[in-house]
Order: sequence, then C-alpha cells, then structure tokens
Amino acid sequence: MSVTHVDQLDSIEMPDGFVWRPIRRHFDIRGFGVNAYTALEVGGMIVEEHAEGTEGDLGHEEIYLVLRGRARFTVDGNDHELAAGQLVFVRNALLRRGAVALEEDTVVLALGGKPGEPHKVSAWEAMFGAVPAAREENWTEAIRIHAEALEEQPEHPALLYNLACMEARGGRHLDALLHLQRAVELDPKWADYARKDSDFAAIMSEPGFPA
Amino acid sequence: MTGVSSTEPAKPGGYEVLSLDDLDRVPYRGSGEVLRPLRRQLGFRPFGVNVWSADAAGDKLIPPHEEDSGHEQLYVVVRGTARFTLGEETFDAPAGTLVHAPAGTFRAATAAEPATMVLAAGGKAGEAFVASDWEAVHIAFAQLDAGDAAAGRATMEETLAHTEESWGRHYNVACYLALAGEHDAAFEQLRTAIELDRDKVMTWLPEDSDLDPLRDDPRFQELAG
Repeated sequence: MSVTHVDQLDSIEMPDGFVWRPIRRHFDIRGFGVNAYTALEVGGMIVEEHAEGTEGDLGHEEIYLVLRGRARFTVDGNDHELAAGQLVFVRNALLRRGAVALEEDTVVLALGGKPGEPHKVSAWEAMFGAVPAAREENWTEAIRIHAEALEEQPEHPALLYNLACMEARGGRHLDALLHLQRAVELDPKWADYARKDSDFAAIMSEPGFPA
Repeated sequence: MTGVSSTEPAKPGGYEVLSLDDLDRVPYRGSGEVLRPLRRQLGFRPFGVNVWSADAAGDKLIPPHEEDSGHEQLYVVVRGTARFTLGEETFDAPAGTLVHAPAGTFRAATAAEPATMVLAAGGKAGEAFVASDWEAVHIAFAQLDAGDAAAGRATMEETLAHTEESWGRHYNVACYLALAGEHDAAFEQLRTAIELDRDKVMTWLPEDSDLDPLRDDPRFQELAG
C-alpha cells in the first residue's frame, strides 16, 4: 500500500515508555531513514535520549519535526519547546538529544541518515521490531526478526549480541554462544555487557561463554 | 546561500531549531508551486528533504513529475489537506497522511484546503546522496525575478562547482545569464554546453525563450549553425 496515515502505523511500545511508529519499515523505504514517535501520556518520553554517533564513528544527521501537538526537546543540555510545524536539526551526531510530549496525541517525525554514504537500514529497527515478540516470550519470532536483519548486516555486533540474547532465552544455547562469541570478537565491550545480562543466565556457565 | 552536497563539510554549529513557516518561499519556475528549501537552509546532507506549501485551496502544491532521478520519495502532509495524484489514482490526503512514491511513478498535488504544507523526502537506494542542481536553479531564477541578479548569479554558479561535467548545468547557467543581461558570459557557458553534448543542446536551443535575448547576436547564429 502506498498511502497510510500516521495514526494507522504499527504502534510498538518500547521498554523506556515511548512508542515507535515505523514508517521506513511500513513502506520498505531503502533510500533514507524515516520514522514517527508518539508518547504514552503527556509528560512521557517521545524521543529517547540518545546520541547518533561516537568519537571516531560519526553517525547520522537527524531532523525531528513536530507533526502534531507539542514536545519539549533537550539537545546538548538545552531545552526547546516545539509546536507543530517546528523542528530541531541535530547536525552533530555526538550531541545527546531526547524529547517529552507536552500535549495529547503529539507526533514527532524523525528523518536521518549518514552524509556521503548509501542508506543502510539501522540495526536498531530489528531490535525495536522484536520487542513485542520478546515481551510475549515468542522467541522464535524474535529470533526470526534478528536473523533477517543480520542477513543485511552480518557483522553488526549489537545485532549479533541481541540475537544471542533471544537464542539464549529461547533455549538455542549453542547458537547463542556462537553469536555472542562473534559479537565479542567484533567488539570486546559486549563481553562486559554479557556477564551482567540476565538473558544469558542459562549459558553463563557454559564453556566458551566470554569470561 | 551556500551550496550543499554530501561531499561538503557540515555547516558549523551542533544543532538548530526552526519553524517551517520561516523557510524561504521560492516560486517554482514555470508552474508556480511554492518550494520551501528546507535541505539547503539547514545544510542537511544525507538525502533530499524539502517542503511545498500552498496558501489557497486549489493552488498547485507539488509539480507533476515522475522522479527520473531514481529517487523513491515520501510525502508527509504536515498541515491542511493535499489532493494527490499518484499514478492514475487521485485522493485527498489530510494532515498526517504519508504517501510513498517509488521512482518512476507519476505524482502531483494541489491544495484541497488553505494553508496546506507537505514535506517531501527522497533518496536512491544503494547510492550516497549528492545534491542535484534543481534547487539552486529554481532559487537563482527566483532571486533574479525578485531583482537580485547578483545573488541569483552566485546561486547559479554554485552548480558549476560540481566536479562532474554536465551539458545541462552549463546550459542552465547560460539561460540564467542571458536573462540577467550578461551576454558574453552566457555565450561562454553555451559554448561549453555545446562542446559537451551538441545534440542535447540542440533539442532545447531552437525553442527556448530563456535564450531569446541572445538570438539577434551573430554569435548565436554561429553556435546554432
């Protein structure tokens, strides 16, 4: 379908309390990144606090447009109240940004991509997309969503790590160990996370679990 | 204004806040839609994003085209109601509607309510975005029509900074310079365009009213002959 309304998009409630309304995924857009966000209540989070890059790995430039309602954005520690038709453009990927809804039914449109590179579907889309299945402990579906994303980005450490979490919870212990080991090979920081992650309770004593 | 492409450095400053109502209003040359050049004003580099607005119901909103650049596009109705034609289907799209148009699909829109505004985002799968000339061309001619020929020329000349040569780029600059009364410079650009692709230039040159100010000059006959 080539036409929809923002209120008809999937509504995926995230653990932090904001609601992801996937636009790129809905239309299978491959040329750029675009999504919408809503909040559960007035005063609730609508854009999670985050940065889009780290030193040495500069990430996306992002535009956040208030499509409906009002939102208070905090960017680099500064507050800005934005009404419908107003936007904040975060050029510096290192700046932390986030927003809360100030009115009922507020909608924020987020557009972003990395300058000078073809658009790649962000790995977090699979992680967000698997939240409802994980909440229902439908590990087969959560694993399928991650595995599908991994086909496009097979060496993405965070995707491998999250896939391993789902596999460990779903009883696929050998697959979980192999994917976790690969995540740690690509980025050793995941070993620290794994040791404190209850998702891995069932495999922490297995030989090969990152020490 | 500063030209922006994905290969250029970012503008200084970490972030900025603005209202879509504060964007420039650029009459789209030849058909009258109103372009609000968001991407250029922000210096946004990852892909194309602009806004189109119409003051009155019935006004033209999005120029009829098929996006032969290969970009897929998403139109977001920000305010009012847009009457879209997508392919062979026509429908009304109230605020909050999202319209996805794959490359090659015919699309156009008019306003079905006063004060309608649509955001358009576009990019090509598998390719890094490079800003094309169309925004600068329309802005330059609008600046000329508004009486600021110097600003228009500066905007037009941004397009010549591209490293990839294009007959059309030099041809457009020639049109601008012809209308701005800078005939010597216009001939120089026209000559370069012909050197790059004479056949393509000749499909436009005989009927192009932009070049009328040059037609009585012997140099025009020499080039056209």
